[in-house]
Amino acid sequence: MSKLDFERLHTDVLVVGGGVAGSLAALACREQGLDVVVCDKAGSIDWAGSVGGGVDQFLTVMETGPEWDSPDYFIRRLPELTDGVVDLAVSAAVIREMPRMLRRLEGLGVDFRDPVTGQYERHNSFGLPGTYHLDFNGRKFKQTIGRAARRAGARPLVRTAVTDLFVSGGEVQGALALHFRTGAWTLIEAPAVILTTGDINRLSRNASGMPFDSWHLPYNTGDGQAIGYRAGAALANMEFVEATLTPRGFSAQGTNAFTGLGAHYLNRHGERFMLRYDPRAEKARRSVLVDAVIAELLAGNGPIYLDLTHLPRVEIDNLERTMGIDRYTLPSYFRQRGLNLHKEPIEITVSEFSIRRSGLYFRGSGLAIDTDGQTNVAGLYAAGDCSSVSGGIAGAATTGHLAGVALRRVLKPGAGSRPVADDAVRQVLEDRVRPLEREEGPRYHEVEDTLRDVVTRDVGFRRTRSSLGRAIEALRELETDEASMRAVNTHDLMRSRETASIRLSAELMAVAARERTESRTGSSHRRLDFPEQDDSRWNQFVVLEKGGDGPRISTVSADRPLSSHWRSDSRVAQGAAS
Amino acid sequence: MNVHIHNPVQISDELCIRCPVCDLVCPGDIIYFTPKSKELPEVRYPAECWYCGLCEQKCPTNAITIVFPEQMLHPEGDAIAFLGDLKD
Repeated sequence: MSKLDFERLHTDVLVVGGGVAGSLAALACREQGLDVVVCDKAGSIDWAGSVGGGVDQFLTVMETGPEWDSPDYFIRRLPELTDGVVDLAVSAAVIREMPRMLRRLEGLGVDFRDPVTGQYERHNSFGLPGTYHLDFNGRKFKQTIGRAARRAGARPLVRTAVTDLFVSGGEVQGALALHFRTGAWTLIEAPAVILTTGDINRLSRNASGMPFDSWHLPYNTGDGQAIGYRAGAALANMEFVEATLTPRGFSAQGTNAFTGLGAHYLNRHGERFMLRYDPRAEKARRSVLVDAVIAELLAGNGPIYLDLTHLPRVEIDNLERTMGIDRYTLPSYFRQRGLNLHKEPIEITVSEFSIRRSGLYFRGSGLAIDTDGQTNVAGLYAAGDCSSVSGGIAGAATTGHLAGVALRRVLKPGAGSRPVADDAVRQVLEDRVRPLEREEGPRYHEVEDTLRDVVTRDVGFRRTRSSLGRAIEALRELETDEASMRAVNTHDLMRSRETASIRLSAELMAVAARERTESRTGSSHRRLDFPEQDDSRWNQFVVLEKGGDGPRISTVSADRPLSSHWRSDSRVAQGAAS
Repeated sequence: MNVHIHNPVQISDELCIRCPVCDLVCPGDIIYFTPKSKELPEVRYPAECWYCGLCEQKCPTNAITIVFPEQMLHPEGDAIAFLGDLKD
């Protein structure tokens, strides 16, 4: 068998990524009898994606009566909650669907009620104008919906990385995928592809110095964004950084539950400094919290601590029991560190960063979509954190579902796609297997280490025209190293494709950040040379598409949906909300 | 390469029943189990572990313990060093 051999597989819908968005997209398609193949790099879609190990919050309006709990109210407040640059049309469609999504997930077997009280327990977080965060024990959440997708007949291809999309005449034809344990390649031909590959990580340095120690899943590396971009899809909001506050040394999610209970951030003087930054103090939105800690560190007020010691004993005990739901290993991390939460505060710091949603809900960074989840490439859809609208697992589930529902309206089972010629596949394959043939050249982690140094220094929390220019130059030079990477086996080859996705994402981040000559949303985009938010000029999305020589940059007014960039019939965003 | 790479996934030889669960649930393709093998599952890519503990969580005999390395328990790095170049 030649290294350039591949199998062909036909399906109606290829879903790239078996996380929350992918599972709900697959389910919606299966309900209408569409054949669905789901590719994921994990070993089983039951545990694939960011929340395979558990999750503890679901953001939703529930229409329980009070005005704040209605979709209309939340949608009306969105512009101020998102600093203006958000796709209101798509966000509104998602918010309207959320209460139905909650029922749908309950129908699949997810239990959102508190096991003790039997009630829905909700709390207020991240500066939202209501108790929209539903607390639940989601340790088996992903397992439940992944299994539901499998049982509905979705065909999983696991340990499988999708490396390239094929597009002809502006229409999707399918994708090339590598099973990285066996080294087998498959061309999956499909008239529709839904990209649900999550956010982008391994971009910058952190306290432990370990690149896979990341707040979000380190195997989410922007693969969908990269293959979509190379196939002509537009990306939006790529300039925005998302980071969080984590225990120093372990980039764990889950500290939000601490502040929900009333934990305080303290600086080295013992001062509860968040009060100086936001009247909501520890309950301010994520971007404000991160920004405040950065400012304190720079002012010499570090180390920074998260203090629970003033809380009632029973509440800390309760927290110790539940904090492992969102990040299973967090309790044992504290134990191995010898930390007693009753007696001492936790030293925290700023995490490495992701490209996801700028620390606030709904402003997703990624593939620009319309209310159907469709991108500007015919047949290519996106959902969840790799798309331009991001709202946690609720947003991922909803955008995934909406894409599936849209597809079943326009696609008939067995419709088929334009065939991809053998030669076209072999040409791509030849390039893809080359790292396996090299005896010399950098390994993936060497290229990534250089990349993280560049991004951390010049593209991160503080940016200038000159730092971004330096970074763009360095990241383009790194493309040469990327092209000479050596892979020692097919697992390594998969990682080297991840590195290529990360490098492209970093370059696009720097390009978009240089374009946006203002500052917005705290440390999500802080230009030292343009320190103010400039609404007169920058109430706009920065949109990037592949050009002849580097990215083609355009801007779209945030008064309109992103889809107005490629469709003349898009409704005005505000109007679409009604 | 560093020969002293920390092993995050410690598997008890006595408790492990040589089933494929840890390999199956690992999101990062870190753990390799050979079917019908008498050997312990191999932690083949320890540096790529996320420390999510899905393997520990799902192990039917509690044979797995996630052990954090020194650089995570007591990191030495300066917090300001990864905030970026602050000069214009």
